Amino acid sequence: MNALLSRRAPRLALGLIAPALLLAGWQWLATSGGASAVALAPLGSVAAAFVELVGNGTIFGDIVATLTRAFTGFAIGAGLGVATGTATAVWPLLNRVIAPLLNALRQVPMIGWLPLIGLWFGTGEGSELIVVCLGAFFPAMLNTHAGIANVEQRYLDVGEVFRFTTGQRFRRILLPAAMPLILTGLTQALAFAWIGTLASELLMGAGGGLGVTLQTAQVQQRLDVILVTVAITAILGFAINQIIARVRREVLRWQPASI
Amino acid sequence: MSAEPFPRPRNQQVGGSPRIHAGKAGQAQRGLAEQQAAPRAEAVPRPNVESSAPLRGELTNSDLDKSFTIGGQARPVLENINLTVRPGEFVSIVGASGCGKSTLLRLIVGLDSEYGGEIRLDGERIATTSLDRGIVFQDHRLFPWMTLEQNVELALLNTDTPKARRAAIVAEHIALVGLSGFEKAYPHQLSGGMAQRAAIARALVTEPKVLLLDEPLGALDALTRVHVQNELQRMWLAQRSTMVMVTHDVEEALYLGDRVIVMSPHPGRVRRIVEVGLPHPRDRRSPLLHRLKDEILAELTGNPAGEPANLVTFPARESR
Repeated sequence: MNALLSRRAPRLALGLIAPALLLAGWQWLATSGGASAVALAPLGSVAAAFVELVGNGTIFGDIVATLTRAFTGFAIGAGLGVATGTATAVWPLLNRVIAPLLNALRQVPMIGWLPLIGLWFGTGEGSELIVVCLGAFFPAMLNTHAGIANVEQRYLDVGEVFRFTTGQRFRRILLPAAMPLILTGLTQALAFAWIGTLASELLMGAGGGLGVTLQTAQVQQRLDVILVTVAITAILGFAINQIIARVRREVLRWQPASI
Repeated sequence: MSAEPFPRPRNQQVGGSPRIHAGKAGQAQRGLAEQQAAPRAEAVPRPNVESSAPLRGELTNSDLDKSFTIGGQARPVLENINLTVRPGEFVSIVGASGCGKSTLLRLIVGLDSEYGGEIRLDGERIATTSLDRGIVFQDHRLFPWMTLEQNVELALLNTDTPKARRAAIVAEHIALVGLSGFEKAYPHQLSGGMAQRAAIARALVTEPKVLLLDEPLGALDALTRVHVQNELQRMWLAQRSTMVMVTHDVEEALYLGDRVIVMSPHPGRVRRIVEVGLPHPRDRRSPLLHRLKDEILAELTGNPAGEPANLVTFPARESR
């Protein structure tokens, strides 16, 4: 069994069984008539919608807009999060001053900020980006803080014995020792940025993107367009996850392989 | 310089008594011969204090006290430690757990500067860490995110060793501990014994005047342990830096140490100092080592004073 799972081709094939069953069931329900046919467009019309969206180029514009928004927001939010988490871990005084406030603020779900942001900044692209940034900020900050604050004293002792400067201590001990948790934080931040992007596009509808198309399609009752867009969103999210998992393996190759 | 006022002066004689060798042929004769051929002053290179030659690695602990605050109360861990380690000497410290052995090493290496009394290296008071003092911890403490090579090179980061020479020096020390070929390995890919040897290489690469060893072989299995002990002795003979090793293995302490400091716990005190009058490299089978081991074990397990007669009655009792 394990031998089967360790080979690439069988692994891929096994992973495709569930999606194939889903599509088959879908097609069956969509063409069987009755109430469920209204809820599900047959695969043929979904494919046609896909060809249409590709043909007029709108889908590429949406993908680019959504990815740009997600990654810009991720870069800003997670960047600030890692910086803040590092600062609070290194300076306990700063932590004492801002940690209670940040901990209270993070209890507000990302979407909970929308009305306030909408009033302050309007419902434009800028507001969408702020939501994405907020979503990415907190997981990056919390994990970075935990990672750096919990570096084992026994490693810091080694640095002291070899007379490390503050910079050497940070770059050669704190940062690499905290890296597993920092990467966990970044993975979560990216997931939140992705959710925040779709949610803010859906709710604010500014500047194009997959979420905006979904909303428009809902208004126009284009079930086929909705399904194509949802499928593309799922595939993009999956691809992003695969990429970050690979980056993680590469950066943490010093860790024992198992788990 | 070395003779501090210790509570039990009888220890000076411990290594000298020939009684034990009677009745044992071969090994006993040889051990005795070596012992007599190498009187103490020659076995340990001791520079003349009057001479102007710079001391290298003379470690003095005078009236050393250390206490920790536990539950609001000061609890003494070390009390009135007086100990001078001669340049190039190998001193072993044995004692039950709780006698402050590891604390003593932390103080000497400079990781803890809150203590009473004085610790001096070549006359200079120890207040913080220094590249003159190296340490091998009980756990290897290699950084898991760096390869063996990077871990060893790390020690040279703040030395004035020219960058161009570092790689060669690192390779040399990795070879010294028998790990050539594993330069690119990460710590999790090394066995416990290999990792500990790597830690020894990392400590030696800066050529510290004093190397402190905190139960460095405690976590190793018996076979690996003997192997690394031999390597340690070989490296010490090659480098001749001052070494202070804490261990709970009396045999190990005697095999490697020029002197063995026996400490008693609660609070940690020097109970006895045993001179091992045998030249290095030593033979593990030496009867003298076995007799000293019995004596120290008797001391550690708390036989009342005046009992050494015991040891004369049962000289063959060797194993624990």
